[in-house]
Amino acid sequence: MQSFIHLVKREVYRFMSIWIQTIIAPVSTSILYQVIFGSQLSSLVVKSSHVQYSAFLIPGLVMLQVIRNAFGNGSSSLIQSKYSGSIIFVLMAPISPFAMFSGYVIGSVIRGLVVGVAVFFSICWFGGGCIPRDIWIALYFLFCGAAIAGGLGVICGMLADKFEQLNGLESFLLIPLIYLAGVFFSPHNFSGIWRVLAYMDPFLYIIDGFRYGFIPHASTNIYFGACFVLFLAVVVNTTGYLLFKKGIRIKH
Amino acid sequence: MYALEIANVSKNYGDFQALDQIDFVVEEGSFVGLLGVNGAGKTTLISSIAGINKFRGKIKVMGYDVIRDVVKAKRCLGVVPQELAYDPFLTVYQTLKFQSGLYGVKNNQSWLDEVINRLYLRDKVNSTTRNLSGGMKRRLMVAQALVHKPPVIILDEPTAGVDVELRKSLWEFIVELNKDGHTILLTTHYLEEVEKLCNKIIMIHKGKIIAQSSKADLINQAGNLPTMVEIETINGEITDELSNWLVFREGNLFTFKLDSSDQLLSILSLLKLANIKIENISIKHPSLEDIFINYVHG
Repeated sequence: MQSFIHLVKREVYRFMSIWIQTIIAPVSTSILYQVIFGSQLSSLVVKSSHVQYSAFLIPGLVMLQVIRNAFGNGSSSLIQSKYSGSIIFVLMAPISPFAMFSGYVIGSVIRGLVVGVAVFFSICWFGGGCIPRDIWIALYFLFCGAAIAGGLGVICGMLADKFEQLNGLESFLLIPLIYLAGVFFSPHNFSGIWRVLAYMDPFLYIIDGFRYGFIPHASTNIYFGACFVLFLAVVVNTTGYLLFKKGIRIKH
Repeated sequence: MYALEIANVSKNYGDFQALDQIDFVVEEGSFVGLLGVNGAGKTTLISSIAGINKFRGKIKVMGYDVIRDVVKAKRCLGVVPQELAYDPFLTVYQTLKFQSGLYGVKNNQSWLDEVINRLYLRDKVNSTTRNLSGGMKRRLMVAQALVHKPPVIILDEPTAGVDVELRKSLWEFIVELNKDGHTILLTTHYLEEVEKLCNKIIMIHKGKIIAQSSKADLINQAGNLPTMVEIETINGEITDELSNWLVFREGNLFTFKLDSSDQLLSILSLLKLANIKIENISIKHPSLEDIFINYVHG
């Protein structure tokens, strides 16, 4: 247990030691989004829920950064450890593969949550408050979203050979999927194939569920979404654990 | 109980057999040298002992099976890997504290201080690891392997890139640990280190053990190896009768290979008969290196 706690502590220290890059940067990006989109489009009202656009946008921006940072933490930590060779000291330590994998994922979840909280308060301060209607729904989707992204990040960091592969994955797959998942607009606003794709996007259910904790707006069935994200979190992290146990691309 | 028990260990990378039925034991408190050319399988074997490689066969560390009792086996083991490895986000001190935490060790400050001092890391204790020189990084890796005071210490070429003075101090520290009961398994390309430090030597070649013996026995076997004699003559001449023993000439310096010491007397007699004056003479007895080369090349 102590080994596991130290692994988590190391992960937290790693992202806190470069806090300008890991916390301030996503916060400032989110503030810019809020200033540009939220303020400029503040007069818009989301038709289906009759809430102002800025209130619709804030939970989306928070979840965008939670997912990106939880994913980025797991993936960058693994690939950096592989590049620097320091992963060998973790692999040689008396820790079970489960504790090792969990340590990396929980470190990623913590970064996602820290960044999410920082983004939430910053953009609320800049762009008006946004009080959760149901904190438990918001927290449920927040944790599940961070766990899914963290697990995916660790898996990708484990399988990737180069930093470019991770950058490509984030630029060409993760970010488009998050944007398509209704960060800025409800998928109801899409039509044709984009609407179909949006509903097939698993991140939609995370963002939509999290947003439902703040405003009475849901593009999907919230109960289905709750079950689906839990299922995804379990599948992603079980897969990650099994890969970690086998030592795919991390052991000799 | 043995510190290390390696029983019929084999390992394949695809069609390539990296380890082939490796079988040996290491007694507690011994200092063992594991010798082999690059690619012989030393690091693969060490990775298997450390629980990083999958393998066929059985490996036990202090009686704990590295597959079934993996956590207990790993607690008994400290490994200095061959490749330089460091966490660029941490300082030297943080690295050692983190490593202690990974092994579940608390309140080891006095031991950490001793390791830091003995490995001359005190001045760099607050430096980030990425700012350390290669030799410093190597010493930090040694320190990392020792934070939990493991009963079995495996050093995979720990002195590569470390300067002579620090190499000496490192060995003094390791010898002290050995005297305190720690078992040491060492691989190095500096055979004089093995000759000086180890009491048992295991030679591995193409994944197989080609020799394992106490150092004394191995040195005794050297008696069967040829002795080399270097003779420098004043005028750079020798007689034709000596050409059978001659293996090399550089200017006035002639190197002869002798199968027995009696042959030296014959050479000297022939030189005297031919009235050839000797400037210098030196006898080179077979070293561990010669023994090793003899085994590797059959």
